[in-house]
Amino acid sequence: MKIEIKNISKKFGNLVANSEINISINNGIHALLGENGAGKSTLVKIISGQIAPDNGEILIDREKLILGSPIESINSGVGLLNQDPLDFGNLSVLETFLVGIKDANPYRNLKQTKENILRIFQKYKINIDFSQKTKNLSIGERQQVELLRLLYNGAKLIILDEPTSAFSLEQKKMMFETLRSLTKEGIIIIFVSHKLDEIIELCDTATILKSGSVIHSISKPFDSQDIIEKMFENTSSKIKRDKTFTNENNFTILVSGKDFLGRNTEDIEHRFSYGSVIGIAGLQGSSNDSYIKNFFTNEFSKTKLVLDSKVTIPKKTYYYMPSDRIEKGLFRDLNVLEHFGLFKSSETRFLNWNKIKNISSKKIKKFNIRANFSNEVSELSGGNQQRLMLSLMPENQSILLLEQPTRGLDFNSAENIWEMILSRKSKDIAIFFSSTDIDEIWEYSDIVISVSGKSIVNINYKKELTKDKVINYVSGIV
Amino acid sequence: MNKNIQLIQINFIRLVLTLAIIFFVLTLFGTSPISIFDSIIYGSMGSYSKFIRTLIVWAPISLASVALIYTFSAGMWNIGIEGQIIMGAVGATFVARSFFGDTIISPYVQILFALGFGGFWGLICGVLKVKGNVHEIFSGLGLDFVASGIVIYLIIGPWKREGIASTSGTDVFDKASWIPTIGQNEFPLLLILIIFVIYIFSFFIFKYTSFGLRLKATGVNEDAAERFYFSSGKYILLSFFIAGAIAGLAGFSQASGAYHKLVPSISGGFGFLSILIVLICSRNIFFTLIISFLFSALIVGGSQLQIKLGLDHSLIGIIQALFVLSWLILEKLKLEKILLSKIIRSNE
Repeated sequence: MKIEIKNISKKFGNLVANSEINISINNGIHALLGENGAGKSTLVKIISGQIAPDNGEILIDREKLILGSPIESINSGVGLLNQDPLDFGNLSVLETFLVGIKDANPYRNLKQTKENILRIFQKYKINIDFSQKTKNLSIGERQQVELLRLLYNGAKLIILDEPTSAFSLEQKKMMFETLRSLTKEGIIIIFVSHKLDEIIELCDTATILKSGSVIHSISKPFDSQDIIEKMFENTSSKIKRDKTFTNENNFTILVSGKDFLGRNTEDIEHRFSYGSVIGIAGLQGSSNDSYIKNFFTNEFSKTKLVLDSKVTIPKKTYYYMPSDRIEKGLFRDLNVLEHFGLFKSSETRFLNWNKIKNISSKKIKKFNIRANFSNEVSELSGGNQQRLMLSLMPENQSILLLEQPTRGLDFNSAENIWEMILSRKSKDIAIFFSSTDIDEIWEYSDIVISVSGKSIVNINYKKELTKDKVINYVSGIV
Repeated sequence: MNKNIQLIQINFIRLVLTLAIIFFVLTLFGTSPISIFDSIIYGSMGSYSKFIRTLIVWAPISLASVALIYTFSAGMWNIGIEGQIIMGAVGATFVARSFFGDTIISPYVQILFALGFGGFWGLICGVLKVKGNVHEIFSGLGLDFVASGIVIYLIIGPWKREGIASTSGTDVFDKASWIPTIGQNEFPLLLILIIFVIYIFSFFIFKYTSFGLRLKATGVNEDAAERFYFSSGKYILLSFFIAGAIAGLAGFSQASGAYHKLVPSISGGFGFLSILIVLICSRNIFFTLIISFLFSALIVGGSQLQIKLGLDHSLIGIIQALFVLSWLILEKLKLEKILLSKIIRSNE
């Protein structure tokens, strides 16, 4: 098995998405790296036949692949595993499987087909009940079913487009094992990801893209610092942080006894100083996001914040930022300016658009949002949407509640977002954020709340913890 | 500003294309489109009195349309608009038949009652939606039937004409309860004033107030509302109340302006027609004002078809449907944008 990508170029209007890309892969797991907008997705779409390139060719085992046709790609053995599972939630696992397999009429000999499918499940040691509805599976399990379907169809080249963004640690481990065993069978895997640790752990070779071109081809052993420097040439920066900052004011987190693992009935108070950054750690699927939201809505648990003055905290002191930016956080069809107007709408009855324009152009500049007033937010990239949400933060002293503030963002955008968040440390009462990435929690928190499942396992200052302890806590080990 | 001009250009091209499609289909029917449009224009605007008849039809349609802009903005399908128009007419009739009926203030009291009755009927939909999680299409459709039932009950029951119980309607109102008019041809000045006040008011609401912006935001994403410190439920309720109240005015116009009595099908299907109009206009207030007038002219002028050309009146329904469908298809195809960019390029 050998895949050769030769001189692939693609333009969208004036935007060069891919330019003269040459990659050759003989075996193993190959990583496709690059920041948001580097051209990874375009290349993946060209290989899988979803879009046709302007120039260039792809050879699979020296045979020319007919480009621009998904069926041709599938028949040539290309299988694509999407970031979000593209399956049929309301069908059973078996039915989902049957919809997309190569057998011309799987229902004619259902028993035989079923046995074949079962065999492939057993081969890769995946235990999933066939008869349950697909939507009842976790995202990780759905991805596994999809992967098996690709294998069943005889895929020789499997492309994984950021597959692990919704995986728990355990699922990731299983997936990686499966992938490694596949390479032993001669299957080539192209792995698209932002997460360097995964790439270092899993991949054999890697290509780094920047602005549509291949800038480096590297192979094992990888050096993460080296990769970062190559990916973000002349952009890498370490965030300056005010470590010595202290504040005499204190606030209290009153944790409901019911929220603790083991459910001892006594409530527990924790006092922290103003300006603390509190990371709520948890695995994918745990309730760490719910705890963030709960400070704002009080729907999930009785855990709450109390100020020393004992006054009830007005709702407007909180600024809540959901992880699902476009579904929960912003208004898809409204433009950027209208979002600023909306933010003003809690202060005034009548909108003075000139004034709003002044404020928003300042904010757009300050938060480095690449957009015009009249851009609808659905047109913005994920990073710009996130920066827009951050720019709508109230100016005065607040309690920030940030659900997975860097979800889906590349390294550079994430650093950029954190810089903005941390610059508010000296102003705000508290900054809460959730993350499934323990490294992110470790990097930015002063205090770590570890959540496993629905329960809080531990609350402590970072300096009294170790990273391994946190990993244990979020896995439910006390 | 540039964007607005472009929007007008695009809509103008779309209008021309739509008319071309209608002409083509009418030719297929073996009729002459020119003579049909000629008689429609003559029938709706050929004389001052015909123009006034068009205005009387335009009033409820334009009011119901602007009412729907509120609910559509909040993301709600206000199918209950028909019922809201009917209840507005009931409110107006109630006043006209009361001791106010023969006083000069009757129309103004009617306006208040029409607003209240219609608003209340809309609010039921809203409350069911927000508190009971009942989809507004189901409750709206149900309330439409209830409203028609109430009207028929009133007409053959408590409000029946003396001696006879017939579904042809109540007694004609006292002249004092009719919508005041000017001149011999009875120009309905009050009605026209109401329309313009409401349109200007609505334009202002959607353009310059927090309320309007929040209404629009509610329609886009109910979930994000709380994050911006407002409750989407409150805005859904308000949108239904306002829409119902304005639709109530449309009912008032029908009862006291068009029929001068309460009849069973008082809403005349204008509510449903308005839904189409607002869809065509993508909630743009000025287009709504214009397109609703075009449709009124079509309805009034259409009645001439039989007399002048011996064609069936239902042809108007075909023209209306063609208009809406071709418009929406053209909108999806974005043909005008391509045409416009070609035109601009050839000019350069």
